[in-house]
Order: sequence, then C-alpha cells, then structure tokens
Amino acid sequence: MSAAAPPVLEVQRLGKRFEARAGRAEAFWAIRDLSFVVGEGELLTIVGPSGSGKSTLLNLISQIDGPTEGEIRFREQAIAGPTSGALRPGWDRQFGYVTQEDTLLPWRTLGENVLFPLRVQGGLSAETRQRAARLIQAAGLEGFERYYPHELSGGMRKRGALIRTLVYDPPVILMDEPFGALDAQTRTQLQADLLRLWNLGRKTIVFVTHDIAEAIALGDRTLVFTRAPARVQSEHRIPIPRPRDVRNIYVADGFAEMYERIRKELE
Amino acid sequence: MRPGRALWDRLALAVAALALWQLASLAFGPHWFSPPLATGRRFVELFWNGELLRHAQYTLLAAAGGFLLGGVPGALIPFALRRAPRLGAVLDPYLVAGYGMPKLALAPLFILWFGIELASKVVLVASIVFFLVFFSTAAGVRGVDLRLVAMARVAGASERAVARHVVWPGAVPYIFAGLRISLPYAIGAAVVGEMISANRGLGYLIQAASQDFDTTNVFVGLLALTVLIVAVNVIVEAAERWLLRWRPVDVTPVRRLASAT
Repeated sequence: MSAAAPPVLEVQRLGKRFEARAGRAEAFWAIRDLSFVVGEGELLTIVGPSGSGKSTLLNLISQIDGPTEGEIRFREQAIAGPTSGALRPGWDRQFGYVTQEDTLLPWRTLGENVLFPLRVQGGLSAETRQRAARLIQAAGLEGFERYYPHELSGGMRKRGALIRTLVYDPPVILMDEPFGALDAQTRTQLQADLLRLWNLGRKTIVFVTHDIAEAIALGDRTLVFTRAPARVQSEHRIPIPRPRDVRNIYVADGFAEMYERIRKELE
Repeated sequence: MRPGRALWDRLALAVAALALWQLASLAFGPHWFSPPLATGRRFVELFWNGELLRHAQYTLLAAAGGFLLGGVPGALIPFALRRAPRLGAVLDPYLVAGYGMPKLALAPLFILWFGIELASKVVLVASIVFFLVFFSTAAGVRGVDLRLVAMARVAGASERAVARHVVWPGAVPYIFAGLRISLPYAIGAAVVGEMISANRGLGYLIQAASQDFDTTNVFVGLLALTVLIVAVNVIVEAAERWLLRWRPVDVTPVRRLASAT
C-alpha cells in the first residue's frame, strides 16, 4: 500500500456507550477514542481480550448500530457519526459481514442461502449464478447445495456464510471471529481457504479475533486493542511474506517474536 | 418409539376405552349412557341415509368460514404491526381485552345481529380464531432472530424482503401453533352457535336429540364431531409438515404445545 493512496476506511475518535438498563446498573463505554485506518486491499487483523468491544466496532462499521461519538469514513465520505442520518446496514452493499454465530437461514438450502444476497438485491442472473457455483466449488461445497444448514457440519456452514458474502462482491468484508467455534484442523483449513480466496480478489478485510496466532497468520497488519473501553494499544506490521503456509505458520521467520510481543501486550 | 409398536399400543388403548364405555353404559343404564354398539349402529345408519353428512357439512362450513375470516387477519396483522410499533403499543390493551372476553357469551348477540343462518356462526368462530392466531403469530414475529435480520439487511434486503425471507418463515411454526390450538375451538364454537339457534348442524343434532332424551343420537353427534376434528387436524398437520420441511426433527416444542392444548 503506497502512502499516497487514500485509505478505504477511517475510524476517527470513535466511541460507543451502552446505556444503563435493568440488570446492568451503569452505562458503560465499549469503545472510546478509537482511531485507525484501513488501506485498499489490506487484510487488517484486530486482536484484543474478549469483551473489548471488537464486535461492537464491526457492528458500528456495518451500520447495524450507530456510534455515540466520533466518525467512520468510507472512501473519504462520512458514513457514521453525529451528522449522518438513519442507519443503513451494509452501506448499500459496500460491506459484507461474516459474524461469529452462523447466520445461514435455517429454512433455506445451502445453495439458496448463497444466492440470498443476489436474490434480495435483484441481482440474480445466469452470470451471477455461475459465479455462485464457482464459489461453492472453490469452497469445497459442491454437491451440498440442496442440503439444509442443520444437515451440514459447522465448518461447512462457515464456508457457506463466507461465500454468501463473497458472492455479491462487497469491497470491504468484516469478519468477527468467524472460525472461533471450530476444531483446530477445520480452523486451519478455513484460514488457508480464506487466504486463497482473498488472493483471488484482494478485497479489503477487517478480521477480528482473540487468537494471536490467527491474527499474525492472516494479517498484513495487526492492531492490538485494550480492554473496554477499546482503544488501539499498538500496531504491528506482519513481516511474514505471502503466500503464507498457514499450517506451518509457527515456524515462519518472525512469527515467534511477533507472537511473544503481542502476548505480552495482552497480559 | 417404532411406529408399529405405537400403533399396537393405540389399538389397545382404543379397546380399553370401548370397554370402559360399555361398563359405564351397563352401570348407568343405556338411556343415560348409550352403549358403544348402539351408538356405532346408529352412526352407520345416519351416515348412510345422508343425515350425518348434511349436519357435518353445515358445521364444517361454519367452522371453515370462521377459520378463514379470523385466521387470515390474525396471521397477517402482526406483520403489519411489526412495521408500526407505536400503533401496536396503542392497540395492545384492546387486543388483550378482546382476547379475554368470553366469545361464547357473545353468541346470542351475534345471532341477534347476523341472524340464525350461517353468518352468525361464522362470525362467532372468527371472533375466537382471530385472537388465538393473532397472539401466537405476534409471539413468532417478536421472537424473530435479530441476528438473521441484521445479516439480511447488511446483505441488502429491503424491509419487505426481510419480512418475506426472514420474519415470515420464522413465524410459520407459531402461526401453525395458533391454528392447531384454535381448531377445536372453531368447531366447538360452531356447535355452540347451532345449539343456541339453528335447524341444521351437528350442534343442532345434539341439541334436538337431548331434548328427545335420545342419548344415542347425542353420542353419535359427539362421535361425529371428534372424527371431524381429528380429520381436519390431519390436514393441518400435513400442511404444516410440508411448510416446515426444512426442520431437523418432526417433534418440536410448538407441536408439543399445540397437541397439549
């Protein structure tokens, strides 16, 4: 990323306060005074202790929720902040969001789920169907199109949710610990798949995790967050060259050192 | 449990029930408690001379008409109110009051207003079905998985698309719970309407027979009603199974709730 290119996403002095309600006596700030930028085509990973407002941040960027203070800019346009109007989830399909829980529609087959964004956007055509079929194949889900989500494994559902987001090609993809609930082997496989798919399209990805190794293995750059209210505690450029071998990332040059540094910061 | 085993157990239960019925008839006397054989014989007789079908048809028509008149708005209005939460809050106490009001007590009024023909029974049935389906559907609409709604919005779905692809399929089990719960009430209300004032219908048959101290005919009417309710239930269940074919298992909490009522 050259220094001259404007960032895709700018987060400026962002704050989110959750008001007091029954059963939670005090209002609290999940995020406060949070600033960072994301470059075009960058894979930014964010790591922080659990409960450090990482999911809240992604909800704010995707406009499922609005900030209390501060501003979010997308391609130099303010999209969320004190002056912007009603929430527009996904900002007109500019943001894809792969959440922690699996959000495939249980009443639709895998194939229909993958086509869902295209269907509701009125974008179904022979061409986009073909694109969906290619993605299903690339994710190793061929032959499972007519299965309902409950008939698939956790890893397959995750892959389905990922390609459902890729199918409409949003320029920015937000990922909230998408591989958290999977066994180690499936997880590594999906990380490798993600890098492969990312390499094909070079989308901008903001990937949130609490797993330091995952943050290093995937990211161009890693931000370390503080406990709530979340701020950027430190920033690390990951020196490991691409293409990376996720399976053997532990022996890559620079991995161990980076891991130790981030681990110490999170203590 | 294997289906074959269940069938045998059910048959055994039926035999036991018949035996108990026969015993009660012996104990109280056939005039008070018509024995199963006499009831069965009369049932077949009234079935073949068309009498039973004529009455059942009338009752079924009133129940089905009321089912549609009450059930369709009951299933649709919660979706409209989802988009108008203020209106929903305003209406809520009135809907609760309407739900709580004993509709059978309104039967004489409905007969006064809509006459002794079919219309008054249809309205009576509708007034019961509407509230049962409404509250059940509203619970389903409220209980929609907000994560799925957020996902759909981010993926570019309009409010309409969210309602159609996310809220509606999620609410279908609740709508069916409402329909299944209201089914016996619907037929029951039609029967009560007929007992108060009619010259046809299974309710009329029972009412007229009891005035003649013809307990056999009363039992035939009750038996016919039971058969009717079970038959309609089978149809609703088939529709439900087809609409909910995406579900992992056949036995769901909603189904248990519905069959427990």
